[in-house]
Amino acid sequence: MTIVRKLVPYVIAIIASFAAAGIFIALTGANVFQAYETILFTSFRTPNGFVQTLLKFIPLTLQALAFTIPLTAGKFNMGGEGQMIVGAIAASVVGILGADLPAVILLPLVVLAGVAAGAIWGFIPAWLLYKFNINEILTSMLLNFVSFQIIDLVATGSLRDPVAGHPTTVQIGQGGFLPMLIKNPPLNAGLILALLVAAGVYLYTTRTTGGYELVATGANPRAAAVFGINVKRMFVFSIVLAGAIAGLSGVIEVAGVQHRLIVGLQHNFLVLGVIIALISRGNNLAVPFVAFFIAILEIGASAMQRTMNVPIEMVFIVEALVLLFVLLSDVFRRR
Amino acid sequence: MEKEAILELRNIRKVFDKNVALDSVSFSLYPGEIHGLLGGNGAGKTTLMNVLYGLYRRDDGDINFHGQKLNIQGPKDAITHGIGMVHQHFLQIGSYTVLENIVLGTDVSHPVTMKLSAEAQKIIDLGNRFRLPVDPNAVVDTLPVGTRQKVEILKALYRGVEVLILDEPTTNLTPQEVDDLFESLRVIVNEGLSIVFITHKLREVLHVCDRITVLREGRNITSLTRAEASEEIFVRAMVGDQMKIEGSVYFSHGSMANTAVDESATPALEMHDVGLKTKEGISRLAGLNFQIRQGELFGVAGVAGNGQRELAECVTGVVIPTEGKILMKGQDVTDVPVCELLKDWISYIPEDRLHDGFLPKANVAQNLILGYHRQEPYCEGSFIKWDTVYDKVRGYIGEYKIKTNGPEDPGGNLSGGNIQRVMIARAFSMNSHLMVAHNPTRGLDIPSMDFVYNKMLERKETGASTLLISEDLDELLLICDRIAVLYRGQIVGILARKDFDKYVIGRLMSGIQAEETADLRAAS
Repeated sequence: MTIVRKLVPYVIAIIASFAAAGIFIALTGANVFQAYETILFTSFRTPNGFVQTLLKFIPLTLQALAFTIPLTAGKFNMGGEGQMIVGAIAASVVGILGADLPAVILLPLVVLAGVAAGAIWGFIPAWLLYKFNINEILTSMLLNFVSFQIIDLVATGSLRDPVAGHPTTVQIGQGGFLPMLIKNPPLNAGLILALLVAAGVYLYTTRTTGGYELVATGANPRAAAVFGINVKRMFVFSIVLAGAIAGLSGVIEVAGVQHRLIVGLQHNFLVLGVIIALISRGNNLAVPFVAFFIAILEIGASAMQRTMNVPIEMVFIVEALVLLFVLLSDVFRRR
Repeated sequence: MEKEAILELRNIRKVFDKNVALDSVSFSLYPGEIHGLLGGNGAGKTTLMNVLYGLYRRDDGDINFHGQKLNIQGPKDAITHGIGMVHQHFLQIGSYTVLENIVLGTDVSHPVTMKLSAEAQKIIDLGNRFRLPVDPNAVVDTLPVGTRQKVEILKALYRGVEVLILDEPTTNLTPQEVDDLFESLRVIVNEGLSIVFITHKLREVLHVCDRITVLREGRNITSLTRAEASEEIFVRAMVGDQMKIEGSVYFSHGSMANTAVDESATPALEMHDVGLKTKEGISRLAGLNFQIRQGELFGVAGVAGNGQRELAECVTGVVIPTEGKILMKGQDVTDVPVCELLKDWISYIPEDRLHDGFLPKANVAQNLILGYHRQEPYCEGSFIKWDTVYDKVRGYIGEYKIKTNGPEDPGGNLSGGNIQRVMIARAFSMNSHLMVAHNPTRGLDIPSMDFVYNKMLERKETGASTLLISEDLDELLLICDRIAVLYRGQIVGILARKDFDKYVIGRLMSGIQAEETADLRAAS
């Protein structure tokens, strides 16, 4: 009963946002119902569409978790993209340099390198916060721009693939590829990793003493400190863990999907991750479901652009409106 | 009563969400009287007066003033009609002078040059007339609480009010200041004004009021003149029929038997020259030396802001003192942080429940295990045993009468009194050698206060000690074995139960070291 009641505002928000966005689609001169049909059902029409949706779902889930974990402790990680990029860079550099190593050694190295790099990228703002009380929103956000420069440097440097038209490195060694769950259309084992991480985060925050301390810190840091919780350590830990998870999303892009480092692999993942996290209201259990819904919209929107010439940005309007209406439903519930 | 009522409130109703705060309450005020509005916390006293003063809109009912229907939209309206209110928390600008605070928001004779000599003279005249002597040029921050209250009353009188509402005016005053206040109030009503005196302290109402209205759970129970009624009638009206007054600590006049304290055992707490300085080098606590025996209920009195909070946090390990040593049962715990002390050693009821003790975004169960979440029986290894926690929490909700929908109810849904019950349930739920309780009964109704006192007295029987820091002197006099007085971060006197005298303590609270207290200290 309560679950149904919780879902009602979401359903209303989705319907309302589609209705509102329909006005904009109609203004572009396209058929509104056909556009929505494309957005909603592309993912389920062909096996390829479904696999594409899952491939989008993986980084979206991980990016959203990289935002919700610090949010649980009351902190904002705006550096998910940067952490993803450095994770991808580390994974590809290790994958290229160790190209001759067998899979049993190379694959774990690739994954570990990417996760560690993301964690370090999260540790920088966390440490600045711990030591000097510098606002983590600013520092984590600015580190994204640093990572954009590093990826340019790596992809155009000695590891560059001279044949490719776009800044790209050469392929990583075969041993660094994530195993495939399905060969054609290609679906990699990153899906399992993402689901395991999502389940682990949920169990951690709801069942363990550490997770309890994270929740207590976010609920009222002063009271948590008075009752013996080291809140500054919780801040650091939450942002480092978020960085590691964002780093993992970079690893999966490289070792699972592209098998090389491509400039621009982060496509708006930060903004989408934040939107998913906020629509979920920070609830880690809801994150994968919301992420799947947003993945459907994203895949459907690119199809809409191809077949109907409706700009892909239209789906951003839908996503933003869903978020707005969900947040509005809070206001109404309080009345 | 042949006199005509100056002010009448009829069938006032006020609902917050689903809580009925006032249910058809009526109240009338005659000219030249001090009318006590008596009731426990949550009875609706302040809400009723806030409705009159225009801070809340009433949902139903009429206000008649001088026989005319009044529609008050806000405090400004109320003041123009001649109704003034002095709140529990003063609304003053600390860096301004008394004069500037009083004229703030009124029209002055020289608005360009701000020459305020005429206004200053008016304030001096008012002060003389109503026996509220205050220097108009003193800066408010430098004044003691008792004087700041006079400023607040003068502020209302300056605006020419006919009806003055005082919300719990004796909180934070020393007994001497309370006597002064009562004297001024009598002068004020003799000049023809009327006063509404909101309080939860029965003895004060009986002392100063002409008529008394008792509220309970948002209804008015009775209105009587002082001469008409005995103390028992008011007690019964305040607490209702459920509570047994005979067994109550609250109404016992402090005469309940105190079990003897074992003097030979190692003290539960020893403070050796404990001091605390801020980073800037400002001294908050200095040279604290005292012991709390096992099984002793040790009280700390003082006007708020004299180092009570720092003392509580040093003892609990929330902050580490910069000087001196703290021993518990002979063991040095000066540097032991609060997370270690919460294991068996201490339990803590912080003063500022909203900031220091409560997680509004977490649920009731999560709130009740805060600080104990790494201890048996709540956890096993790294995992919290939520089934056990919920079972225990359901028990606490019943025992401590926390009004909530259950363990999973968000903390933000609880009222102030219920949040306080959560603080108390948490502190009493685990064994501790020393409980540090800072204003533990703030916001509780009388039966709940009584419950807390009984729980504290029960601790004595098991040899557990309690450090009770309270702004309510009556509470300390009621149950403590000894009372220490804190003034500007120093202990200026410790009195044993046989020497309790509220005027002696009052003098110590205002920093006056009287001869007899010096004698007392020499004797002990």
